[in-house]
Amino acid sequence: MPISDEIRDALKNVFNPQHIEVIDESEAHRGHAGYTEGGGSHFRVRMRADAFKGQSRLERHRAVHAALGPGLIGRIHALALELES
Amino acid sequence: MTNDAQTQIKDTVTANDVVLFMKGTSDAPQCGFSSRVAGVLNYMGVAYKDVNVLADEAIRQGIKDYSDWPTIPQLYVKGEFVGGCDIITEMTLSGELDQMFEQNGVTYDKDAAEKIREANA
Repeated sequence: MPISDEIRDALKNVFNPQHIEVIDESEAHRGHAGYTEGGGSHFRVRMRADAFKGQSRLERHRAVHAALGPGLIGRIHALALELES
Repeated sequence: MTNDAQTQIKDTVTANDVVLFMKGTSDAPQCGFSSRVAGVLNYMGVAYKDVNVLADEAIRQGIKDYSDWPTIPQLYVKGEFVGGCDIITEMTLSGELDQMFEQNGVTYDKDAAEKIREANA
């Protein structure tokens, strides 16, 4: 399963989001640190979930990091997050 | 968690009002995300200490443990972790970064901050 699908599944399970996009932006980082041929290194997540209501930016990011876990986070180079409630 | 790296990090963020842990230096960033945050601080004329995590593996891992945050760059103001690239970018565009600098007595160029916001409006 592509890493983007693993990310999407993990986040869907935890946050039950109204909206989620997981975009593999690796090609835009070709030649940069962390780039690997074939993609799977740089990701962007756009997600809207009720769970984020009342949470600070740090709390939202930390909740996503926790949902993905060190195993998944450790396999990718970069994760840009756009999180809304 | 008492070891040399943790002590060194605590001393650094205590002794300096603004600290950016980054890949590369403020003059020569070696990662696009570090470059973006350093660029914002440079453009806003903020005096900050840059710590190149690529120069010290113990700090590179240690800073992630210190803040319980898995990525670099990491910005600290008055010893408090503020955020990484996404959060600093959002705070710059919303004006929250200006407020935080003002509340903490950190000097910055308000006109420069407005220019960043105009360019990204």
